Amino acid sequence: MTLNELRPGACCILTDMTAEGALGQRLMDLGFCPGAEIEIVRNAPLVDPVELQLDGYHVSIRHNEAEYIRVEA
Amino acid sequence: MKKMMIVLTLAAMVAFAGQAFAHSPLMSCFDNGDGTITCEGGFSDGSSASGVKMHIQDGEGTSILETKMNEDSECSFAKPASAYVVIFDSGEGHTVELNGADIVE
Amino acid sequence: MSSRNLLVALAGQPNSGKSTVFNLLTGARQHVANYPGVTVEKKTGSFGVKGTSVKLVDLPGTYSLTSYSLEERVARDFLLGDSPDVVIDVADASNLKRSLYLTLQLLEMEVPTVLGLNMMDVAERRGQRINTDKLQDILGIPVVPTKAKRGEGKDALKEAVYSLAGNAGPSFKIDYGKLEAYISELEELLVEDPVLSVLYPVRWFAIKLLEGDSETAELLKKTHPDAQSVLDRTDSCRQRFQDEDGNACERHIAFTRHASCAKVTRETVTLPTEKRRNLSDLADRYVCNRVLGPLILIAILFVLYEVSIVFGNWLALQAWPLWGALESFFADILPQAGFLNDPLLRSLGLWVVKSLTAILNYLPIFFLLFSLIAVLEDSGYMPRMAFILDRLFRRFGLHGQSTLPLILGGVYVGGCAIPGVMATKAIPDERARLATIMIVPMMNCLAKVPLYLILIGAYFPDVAGVAMFFIATVTLFMALPVAKILSITVLKKRPSAPFIMEMPPYHIPTITGVLRRAIERVWLFMKKIVTVVAAVAVVVFVLINYPGLTSSRTAYYEDMQDTAVAVFMKDVNKTEFKDVIRSHDVLPIILFGEALKNAKRKITDKNMSAAINEEFQAGNPIYYAVIKRVGKDAKKLNKSLKKVIQVRKKVRREARAERFETSFLGSMGKALEPVTQWAGFNWRINIALLSAFAAKENSAATLGSIYGIDGSDQSVQDSMKAGEIGFTSLHALALMLFMALYPPCVPTSIMVRSQTNSTSWMLFSIGYQTLLGLFVSSLVFTGATVLGLTGFQAMWAFYALCVLATLVMAMIPNPEERKAASAAIITPCKENCS
Repeated sequence: MTLNELRPGACCILTDMTAEGALGQRLMDLGFCPGAEIEIVRNAPLVDPVELQLDGYHVSIRHNEAEYIRVEA
Repeated sequence: MKKMMIVLTLAAMVAFAGQAFAHSPLMSCFDNGDGTITCEGGFSDGSSASGVKMHIQDGEGTSILETKMNEDSECSFAKPASAYVVIFDSGEGHTVELNGADIVE
Repeated sequence: MSSRNLLVALAGQPNSGKSTVFNLLTGARQHVANYPGVTVEKKTGSFGVKGTSVKLVDLPGTYSLTSYSLEERVARDFLLGDSPDVVIDVADASNLKRSLYLTLQLLEMEVPTVLGLNMMDVAERRGQRINTDKLQDILGIPVVPTKAKRGEGKDALKEAVYSLAGNAGPSFKIDYGKLEAYISELEELLVEDPVLSVLYPVRWFAIKLLEGDSETAELLKKTHPDAQSVLDRTDSCRQRFQDEDGNACERHIAFTRHASCAKVTRETVTLPTEKRRNLSDLADRYVCNRVLGPLILIAILFVLYEVSIVFGNWLALQAWPLWGALESFFADILPQAGFLNDPLLRSLGLWVVKSLTAILNYLPIFFLLFSLIAVLEDSGYMPRMAFILDRLFRRFGLHGQSTLPLILGGVYVGGCAIPGVMATKAIPDERARLATIMIVPMMNCLAKVPLYLILIGAYFPDVAGVAMFFIATVTLFMALPVAKILSITVLKKRPSAPFIMEMPPYHIPTITGVLRRAIERVWLFMKKIVTVVAAVAVVVFVLINYPGLTSSRTAYYEDMQDTAVAVFMKDVNKTEFKDVIRSHDVLPIILFGEALKNAKRKITDKNMSAAINEEFQAGNPIYYAVIKRVGKDAKKLNKSLKKVIQVRKKVRREARAERFETSFLGSMGKALEPVTQWAGFNWRINIALLSAFAAKENSAATLGSIYGIDGSDQSVQDSMKAGEIGFTSLHALALMLFMALYPPCVPTSIMVRSQTNSTSWMLFSIGYQTLLGLFVSSLVFTGATVLGLTGFQAMWAFYALCVLATLVMAMIPNPEERKAASAAIITPCKENCS
C-alpha cells in the first residue's frame, strides 16, 4: 500500500521509499525512512497536497510524491 | 468543492479593487498679491498634472469654481472674498486639499 | 588561545530558531550580502569573547548537506572552502531526532562542532527531557542548551566556541555496517592524492562518492591525477553494494544515518507518556480547514494588501516632503536654469535626482511590506499558504507560494510589480519562482490604472464598470497560460524542487526580529537599486534628449524668446525702471521669482512669510519690487513680466516635446510604426509607450500631452478623434491590452535582474512581454477588424479565448507528472480522496 491511498486520520508505518534523485534525497532528509511513524492529518482545501505528522513534526507533501512511499497500517 | 473554492477565491480577489495611484499627488498654491491665486500640481514621480480637475469650494463646501490644471500643470483663479478650500482631484480618493487661509502672500 | 580572530559558521535546519541565535550572538553588529554569484542571502556578524574577535557567518538553513539544492551547496561550499574554525549547529531540541541528521553530517565532515540545543523551552513545555550530558558523551562534542527567544544561553555558547577553537575535529563515526568495507576501499585510493587528502576529510569524501554526489565527483576531477579510475571504482563499489544489500548506496547511507539519529535520541530523550495535541495542531484545524482555510487566507491577504499598498501609499505621501526637499536642494546647488535651455549639468542632475526620488518615494511601502512578510515568515503561516493554494497554482507551473507575489503585483487592480518580484524570494522551487517572476509584471500595477481610466472613459463610457472588470481580470487569464507555456518550454530545464515542506509550529513573531529583518532588507534593496537606477536614468536621459533640436528649430524658439523679451523691455522703458532693468536682467528676475515661490512652499504662517519676503527684498530690492508689485510702475511691469513667463513656459514645453519626438526614442517610435500598425498604434502612441518604459506613470501623461487629453469630460474623445481620425474603441482595447502586457518598467526590470541574478533573464522578460503584448493587441485589433467586431464585442470574444486558454493549459500535465504517468504508477487516489 502506498501513502497516498490513505485517508486523513489513518496511521501507518513506513516500510519503503522508492523515489530516487532529488525527490528521494529530500524525502530521506526530512525523515521518510523505514520504521517512521506517519499519521495522515488532513488534505488541503483543494485535496492536494496532504499534511502528515511524521515522528512528531508536521510536513506537507503532494499526492504524486506520496505515491513513492510504501506503508503498512 | 474545488469549483466552489475557485469561485470563492476569485470573488475575494475582485473585492481587492483599490484604485490608488502609485505616485503621490502634490499641490502648492501661492497668493500672487494681485487678487489671484496660482496653484501648481504634480506627482511625486515627476509626471505632469496637466488636465487634473481642480475644485474651489467655499467654507460650507459648496463649489465656487470647477477648473483644470493647464498644460503647464498650473491653475490660476481669482481669490474668493471669503474662506475657501482648493481641492486637487487626481482620482478616486486621491486628492490634495489646501485651506485658503494657509495660502499666504 | 592567542588574540587571533576566529571564523565561525552557524548551521542549522530551517525552523530551528537559527536566526534568533544569530541575533542573540551578534546583536546589532551585522552585515547582509549575497553569497557570490547566487541569490542566497549571506549574513555576517561579529562578537567578542575573552578578547578574541569572532566573525560569525550564517549559513542557509538546510535539512541536509547534499548537493541537490542551492542552499545546501552554498552551505557545504562554505564549510569546505572557507574552513571555519568552529561550526555552531543549531538544533531544535523539541525535534532532536530530525535535527541530529544534519549534526551527524557535520561531524562526518570533521569540523569542530558545538551543538546548540535551541528551543529548550518548547521541549520542556511538551514534557520532553533531554539528557545533555549523555548526548555530549555520545557525540563527543560540546552541547549547549539555549532558549534564544528568551535570550538564554548566549554566554555558554560563546564560551564553548572559544574553548573548542583550535581543537581537532570530532571523532564520532556512524557505523555504516556492510558499507564500511567499500568506504575503506575508496579511502585507500583517496589518500594517494596528496592535495585532496589535505583539503577534505577522506572518509567524508568516500561516503559522498558512494552516495553518488555529483559535486564531489567534480572536486575529485580537479585534484586527483587519475580521477577516472577512482570514479570507475566508485561505480563498481556502488554496483557491488547494491547487489549485496539490495538497497542503493545513497539509500543505505541515509537510512543508516537516520537509524543512528533515532538511536541517539532514544538514549538521551525521555518523551512524555501521553501524546498531547499542541496549540499549533489546534490552530491548523481552522487555518487549514476546507472552508475556513481559504477564508482566513483571503482575510490575511486583504489585510496585507490594505496595509502595505493602501496605507503604504498614504504613508509615502506623508514622507514626500523629505524627497521633495532633496529635489529642491539639488535644484539649488546645480547651475542656474536658462531661459530656453538649461545647462546640461542641471538638466541631467535633476533628471537623475528625480528618478531616484521616484523610487525612494516607495520606501514606506517597501518597509511595511517587508515587515509584514517577516511576520508571515516568522509566524509559520507561509507554508500554510502554499499548502492551501498549491493545487490551483501548480496546474500552471507555479507554486502555492506564488500567491503573495501575484497579489502584490496587482491580481485585481492596484499593486506594484517591484515588491511583487521581490516577494518571489520565498518560493523554494526554482522553476516556479522564475515563472512567477516572469508573470508578476503582467499584473495590473497602480501605474497602469490612469491609462485604463482615460481610455475607458473615452471609449467605453456606457459600460465603464464592465470594461474595468474586463481589464482587471483578463490579465490573470493571460498570465496563467503564459506561466504554463513558459514552464513547459524555456523553463523546462530549470530545476524543479519537490514540494514536500515542513509545516513548523506557529510562533508569535517578535517586534525586534521583524523590524530588524525589514530594515535589513530595505537597506539591501536600496543599496542595490539606487546605483542601478541612477545609471539607467542617465541612459534614458540620452535616449530622450539627443540628438536634440536642429539649428533652425533652435533659432525659431530663440526668436520667440527674443520677441517676448523685447516687448517686456519696451514696457520697462516706459517706467521708472528704465535703465535700471536691462534685457540681461529678465532671466534673473524670473528665477528670483521662482526662488521666492520655492522658499514659501509649504509655508502657512503669515509672519514666516513676511520674514522670507524681507529677506528677498534685502537681497535685491529692484527684482523684489517687480515680483511683489511694489509701487504703481512695478504693478504694471509685473503684468508684462507674466507674459514673458508664459512665453518662456510655452517655448520650453514645446521645445521639450519636439526634442523628445526627434530623439532616439522618438525615432524608434516612428520606425516601429510599420509593425505596430497591426495593433492599431501610430507613432505617437509608440512614443508614449516607449517613454512609459522609464516609469509606467508616464504613459498617461505622455499620451495626454501628445493628444492634449486631460482625463475629464468629452474633450478626451474629441481631442483624440481630432488628432487621429478613426481612432475607435477597438484601438482603445488594443492599447489597453498592450499596456497590460507591456514590459516591466525600469525599476521592475532591475528587480528582475537582481532576483534572477541574470541579465539575460531580465532581457528575456522585457523582450517576451513586448512581443506578447504586440501579438495580443495585433490579434485583437486585426482579428476584430477582419471579423467586423466592435470594441465591446472584441473584448468579450478575447475574454472567452483567454479563459479557454487557461482551461486548456490547466489540462496539460507538467513535465514531472508526465514522467510519473509514464512510470505507470497510476493509483486510484484522485477518485478516493475528494
